[in-house]
Amino acid sequence: MNLEDFRRVLRQAILIPFLALVALACLLFWQVTDTQRAQSWLDHSDQVSAQIAELERQMIDQQMLLRGYELTLDRSALRTFNSSSARIESEFATLRQFVSDNPEQVANLVRVHDAYLLWLGFAQSLIASPNPAVDKNLAYQGTDFMKAVRTATKSMSDAEDRLRKVRLEKAIRLEHQEIICIIAGALLVGTALGIFSRMRLRQVSRAYQASLDDLQRRSQELYESREWLHTTLRSIGDAVIACEASGRIEFMNEQAEELTGWPMGEARGKPLEDVFQIIHEMTREKAENPVDKVRRLNTVIGLANHTALISRSGTEYVIDDSAAPIRDKNGKMIGIVLVFRDVTDQRRTEAALVANEKLAVAGRIAASIAHEIHNPLDSVSNLHYLLARENDSAKRKEYLEMAQQELKRTMQISRTMLNLYREPNAPVEVDLKELLESVLLLLQRRLDNQSILVRRDFNDEFIVEGFPAELRQVFANLIANAVDAAGAGGKILIRMYTVPAEELRGAGATVEILDSGPGIPEQALQKVFQPFFTTKGDQGTGLGLWVSMGIVQKHGGILRLENSTDPEFSGAHVRVYLPARTLATAASRSTAHVG
Amino acid sequence: MTNPYTVLCVDDEVLGLQIRKALLETSGYKVLTAADGKSALMLFEDHMVHAVLLDYLMPGMDGGRVAVAMRAMKPQVPILLHSACVDLPPEVVKIVDATLPKGEGPEMLISRLQLLIEASHSPGRDDDQ
Repeated sequence: MNLEDFRRVLRQAILIPFLALVALACLLFWQVTDTQRAQSWLDHSDQVSAQIAELERQMIDQQMLLRGYELTLDRSALRTFNSSSARIESEFATLRQFVSDNPEQVANLVRVHDAYLLWLGFAQSLIASPNPAVDKNLAYQGTDFMKAVRTATKSMSDAEDRLRKVRLEKAIRLEHQEIICIIAGALLVGTALGIFSRMRLRQVSRAYQASLDDLQRRSQELYESREWLHTTLRSIGDAVIACEASGRIEFMNEQAEELTGWPMGEARGKPLEDVFQIIHEMTREKAENPVDKVRRLNTVIGLANHTALISRSGTEYVIDDSAAPIRDKNGKMIGIVLVFRDVTDQRRTEAALVANEKLAVAGRIAASIAHEIHNPLDSVSNLHYLLARENDSAKRKEYLEMAQQELKRTMQISRTMLNLYREPNAPVEVDLKELLESVLLLLQRRLDNQSILVRRDFNDEFIVEGFPAELRQVFANLIANAVDAAGAGGKILIRMYTVPAEELRGAGATVEILDSGPGIPEQALQKVFQPFFTTKGDQGTGLGLWVSMGIVQKHGGILRLENSTDPEFSGAHVRVYLPARTLATAASRSTAHVG
Repeated sequence: MTNPYTVLCVDDEVLGLQIRKALLETSGYKVLTAADGKSALMLFEDHMVHAVLLDYLMPGMDGGRVAVAMRAMKPQVPILLHSACVDLPPEVVKIVDATLPKGEGPEMLISRLQLLIEASHSPGRDDDQ
């Protein structure tokens, strides 16, 4: 039952009893009026009877006056006779008025009047006669006339009496009827109202009970969903902090309590920056409050790299974090949720892996360098032996020149090796052409051994900013992969071209390396950039491409690997884009973000 | 200082090969040189050779394959594998008579070569080439 229904019921509860009572009142009014009318008819009959009696008395009085005159012949007795006649006429008129509604009584009255007029005529002739007492006949005649008057009067009076009787019965009957009507009407209306009220009340009470049940069920559901949410937030491994739109903390899970060092009870209601103190790991500068940042950008944000959280006890954790706005139905921001986790160990592990790969690369390079150096050193040692035994100056000169040549080669190799490990603190200008050539020089022996043909499709030098040793590591890795893939007698294409600035990236250079090997299986393509994924069995560490990806990303570049569509170099196709200007710093993280 | 032995030197490093030739000639050997496996096998077939001084890492045909081919032709000729390689495959080491890393010095090279040739001419070996 909604509010509208309830109002309707309320209206009914007032209106229907009111209408019922009005109807009852009308019924009673009608009954009472009926009874009253009957009563008034009764009164009317009484009035008529009284008037008849009065008329009769006056007519008798007049007859008495006449009889008195007859007996005494005293004219003085007739003094009031004429005035009495006039009074009687007026009584007649009154009575005529009374019975004008009843033709029967009117007829009766006319008969009485006629009889009276007859008598009055006799009386006047009697009065006019000079000696009335002598004529006995006259006296008898007068009595007869008077009898007729009395008879007519009596019949009229009787008629009125009968009428009264009928009217009395009717009045009594109506009175009974009125009582019955009142009782029955009251009972009926009372019962109907009772039943109606009961029905409506039951309806309302049922609706009330239903809404009570609903309310209880909803509060139970609310409680359960709240518990469920809390349990979920407590159970997940990441730390979660929820804030109001103003930035005050509303909720923290256990992980968040542990990392910040603040129990939720204390932290609740505090501004986020009091509890969640973040700084840049390297610069130690205060990082932007994520609440402000979310409000500013009004979208999901990830925290900058190298964000460190300072806990209440001063412990520092490197964290990975994201913050998102909580919106209501209308899209208005009503809060912010922060999710973060301690990646200190992960960061250490990644750093260890990078160092490990660097060592592995160094080991492989050292072996190849040892080989390269041993050859000329062996020659020099042989020349030294020859020089010691040679007296011919021309021959000696020739030997010395040879020794000089071999030493120069040794120097070149050792310089290359030094360059590999001498890393500047800030990005320097690197000539990509020279870098590629030096990598190819290091790999020259392997290329020769396997008779791999390298086609160089780059002529101009191209300068990018970067860390040469790291970039050399990337290209050594990629070209070595191409050598492994191409196999004996295979071919490798290395080309480089400049890339103009686009919307999302600055101008730079792209180096492409294609090989004639078998290509990469589709399912392996997805994983090649993940750490420890290798297709080379025990020969590979599975870190090469992962580290290369990290280095290229650190330089702001892009590394892509796919299968080639070039019919001549149908194997893998690697693309490395490097921007001419890099944002990398010596401290930048060089581990790959593998999606 | 002369001796009657002919040595076949195989190495892709041409300069090193020339120097080694001069060194061995100083010690009295007759020296044949080849810069790759194929020409080495041709020389080996055509000439009487008392010992082979073989490099391992060479383009096209590495020392191991050259040694296998030589063993098939003239199994009695001693082969000294002379390489700067630090991780020679064991099956190659098994085929050749001896190995000598580069950079051990010329005296060591000459004495090892001499030892190998003398051993191959000692009683028990029926060839006399």
